[in-house]
Amino acid sequence: MYGWTGNILRVNLTTKTFKKEAFSEEFAHKWVGGRGFATKILYDEVQPGTDPLGPDNKLIVALGPIAGIPAPNTGKCVVAAKSPLTGFYGDGNLGTRVSEHLRKAGYDAMIVEGKAERPTMISIENDKVEFLPADAVWGQGTYATNDWIYGKYGAGVGVLNIGQGGENMNRFAVVRSLEGRAGGRPGIGAVMGSKLLKAIVVKGTHPIPQADPAAMKALGIGDLKKVHEIDQESGWSKQSTTGILSFCNEVAGLPVRNFRKTQHPDSWQIDGERLNNARVTTYGCPNCTMRCGITIHDGEGRESELDYENIGLLGSNLEIFDLQQVGCLNYLCDEYGLDTMSSGCVLSFYADAIDHGATRGDFKFGDANRAKQLLRMAALREGKVGNLLADGSLRMAREFGHNSEAYAMQVKGLEVAAYNCKFIPGQALAFGVAPIGAHHREAWIITFEINHTTRDSYGPEKAAKVIELQRIRGGMFEVLVACRFPWIELGWSLDNYPKYFNTITSLNWTLDDMWNTADRIYGLIKLNYLREFPNTTRKADYPPGVWFDPSNADTEGPIAGKVLELDKYDGLLQHYYDQRGYDNRGIPTKATLKKLGLEAEAGEAEKFASLT
Amino acid sequence: MKIKVKLIGPLIYEAGFSEKDIEVPAATTAEALLDLIAIPKERPRIVTRNGKAVAPHELLSEGDKVAISPIYSGG
Repeated sequence: MYGWTGNILRVNLTTKTFKKEAFSEEFAHKWVGGRGFATKILYDEVQPGTDPLGPDNKLIVALGPIAGIPAPNTGKCVVAAKSPLTGFYGDGNLGTRVSEHLRKAGYDAMIVEGKAERPTMISIENDKVEFLPADAVWGQGTYATNDWIYGKYGAGVGVLNIGQGGENMNRFAVVRSLEGRAGGRPGIGAVMGSKLLKAIVVKGTHPIPQADPAAMKALGIGDLKKVHEIDQESGWSKQSTTGILSFCNEVAGLPVRNFRKTQHPDSWQIDGERLNNARVTTYGCPNCTMRCGITIHDGEGRESELDYENIGLLGSNLEIFDLQQVGCLNYLCDEYGLDTMSSGCVLSFYADAIDHGATRGDFKFGDANRAKQLLRMAALREGKVGNLLADGSLRMAREFGHNSEAYAMQVKGLEVAAYNCKFIPGQALAFGVAPIGAHHREAWIITFEINHTTRDSYGPEKAAKVIELQRIRGGMFEVLVACRFPWIELGWSLDNYPKYFNTITSLNWTLDDMWNTADRIYGLIKLNYLREFPNTTRKADYPPGVWFDPSNADTEGPIAGKVLELDKYDGLLQHYYDQRGYDNRGIPTKATLKKLGLEAEAGEAEKFASLT
Repeated sequence: MKIKVKLIGPLIYEAGFSEKDIEVPAATTAEALLDLIAIPKERPRIVTRNGKAVAPHELLSEGDKVAISPIYSGG
């Protein structure tokens, strides 16, 4: 079997034991890697009802056949667990040297079970696995922790770690690596914290098994150079993702004031042009030649690495239009190991709830200093407010009452990324049916909606586009595992990815094979959701209520007077279900599950809920 | 007539400005306006007028704001 090491490392923190477990070729071909491995392992090994923050939850680190091999842009890995934020399968990807080192150590994935007795770091060097005390950095932020690890092992090792947010089981704590990389929005960092697992450090020295290493080396390195040339020629990385802020502001899709407004005249102060002007340096993931991490000096002189989601949700959404202050908030999120997107939405919801009398408090939109304090309180779970914020916006809304859930900007508990879908129906659908909650990674169709269809269409073409993008983004890129940016941003053909996959594995897959894998994974995540929420309805796939509220319509601009229409949205959702072969709850039918090769998993799901 | 042009992302560095008013003859189309701006024509882009997509043949009006953006895939 080429392309896979064929092994999973299983580590138990309770017993301080580990074993190398071989997986079959059939498993590899069915689930490929990354998100595919994580989805299947968690479905089989974490039973419904398991406490996400208890020892029976499992942390998965998973890689795919092209992960870590020099080629565009393969320096990513998937982290996953049952989410403490959403209550079912949750995952994320992040740029890290773990992608290369874990594979070179001889593993395509790692399962972490149990709970340590004291703060622990797992050290992996090929077949050697050690459980080392991490008391020295428990209570420290991710930058200090990273430095501590680099001090011990050198800067070339693979590192995953958490900050105080993860330690204190903040439900939107992330896993961090390298200078500014973070992943696992649905609280995967909190799962690490619940296990007293501060960090994982990996060093691998073996070659990754490949069918034709020389051909892959020539292909991958050649393509890295080509991607770099296209980036330089197009100038994409001058602003990287941050140009999106201006675009969203133009088309009335920017989150402003907890998504109540879609544009703001001061948004230019935190846009990509200002960010590029303030650039100190640029960071990127391993095996990336179109680096997107722009750092600036924040208001306290620290280097803060920003992208669009950060400036959108910690900036305009909080009505903070001072780039250095936005930099401070972003730095604190990174230091504490909190998801910047959920942090922005949680703070904006808190300010909005105070505004609307749902709760009492002293936080107002635009107050950067108080926002900094609140982030610290959320990370450390300080006091009643800190604990409230640390549980995420859905739980906050349920605590506040007063119909505040309508403007808690989340789907299935995961906060919405920085796109205001007040009148962008297809993107609202993309958030609604994103399998882990409102993540933009799965499908982003705003350009398509505005450029190629009528913006106010709720037609089947938008559901079809969401599915097409889910297969590419949430499917193929998440199993291989690679970053999607070369594809749209630089026009790098999707056909390159089966080419890499086939060169490494000696298989002969097409993009259609990738889509089949993607559909299987999405189907299994839906079964995971059903097992946890057997009484679910299609309303779980509705976006926040405020987007349907006519009193929330813009009073001026391109979408003045318009909001989403509920009955039409429901029709769009039905198009999605019909095209997917899902029932009217959004769960794959038995016939669909059979087609996806999920009969055994369906049988397991039927122990907990009915299938149609 | 006067049209406000806003460029987004890397287009700013290619054209040498981010936002400015451009004087064009009456009955100028969106496509004709784009010909006046020094940005590469071969790369995909999205053009909006007052926040809404505009087709190349559509006539512009006095005071329109035309934004030109590369195609993004989200952050």
